[in-house]
Amino acid sequence: MEFFLEIILNLIGLLVGIVIGTISYIGFKNTGSPTLFRLSIAFFAIGVGFGILAAGFILDDFIFKTGHINKGISTLGVISQVVGYWFIAFSHTIRTFFPRSRYFRSIGAIPLFLVSFNYIENIFRAISFILLVYGAIETMISYVQGRKKTTLFVGIGLSLLAFGEFIGWYSFVFPETILYAASIIIKIGGLVSVGIPVSKIPLRKISFDENL
Amino acid sequence: MTQHRTQIKIVGEILDTAMQEIDEQEGTTVTHIIRKANISHGRLSTILSNLVSQGLLEQVNSKRSCRYKISPSGREFLVAYKTFREFSDDFGLSI
Repeated sequence: MEFFLEIILNLIGLLVGIVIGTISYIGFKNTGSPTLFRLSIAFFAIGVGFGILAAGFILDDFIFKTGHINKGISTLGVISQVVGYWFIAFSHTIRTFFPRSRYFRSIGAIPLFLVSFNYIENIFRAISFILLVYGAIETMISYVQGRKKTTLFVGIGLSLLAFGEFIGWYSFVFPETILYAASIIIKIGGLVSVGIPVSKIPLRKISFDENL
Repeated sequence: MTQHRTQIKIVGEILDTAMQEIDEQEGTTVTHIIRKANISHGRLSTILSNLVSQGLLEQVNSKRSCRYKISPSGREFLVAYKTFREFSDDFGLSI
């Protein structure tokens, strides 16, 4: 069941990442905007990261049948996602590595003490959590300034992805509980929410029209 | 707090001004663009010559002053710019 949920989550992540990355790249090609270029790298990296994880789970489910994803594959997937989250944070002109707010700084630090530092994967998951929280805070600030509904959806999506990651770590502490499945469902909700702005893009209008 | 405008945002505002003041014969004046796009004359001159050389604006010969009008490529760019400005805003980013 967990493998099935993981495969669904990672395939949705692959789809959302590649679609947003492609639209951002089309935007970059049309306008030359560096922001859109960074956004395309970010979402391609996130999509590829989810794709690598999906491939890892599928390979194990159908070929290796060990019941655990290969550590090397999962670390590679997580690193790719971290690169993506870093580019989102960088696009928000990241000034310091940790969020300014003391409250969020403390929340960001808790998981670092909960997980074992023996695994590179866990360290990268911690970094991706912090970057997600930073991206979510900055997007929420943009929403407060502009009051755009789609910005709110992106902010909520990034928050859900961070929260899902956070809940996921608690499943290390309390294995065999509903926490793991809950974290995956929360992450799926986050990905869907982040993908909402794509539905607003009038793709047919992007191609140059002779009658304009 | 004043918000930093990127080069592409300034270009978008210049093209938008030229689009709004559409006059097939006359085009729009440099003074009008300066006022609408809120940009200095020195900086605008460089950007205008770049936009003309890239084919996004057309220079119109006029007896009274130097005028500019938006080209078909400029209109296409403006449509793409506005679409992706919205897209960037959705992610809380500035294009």
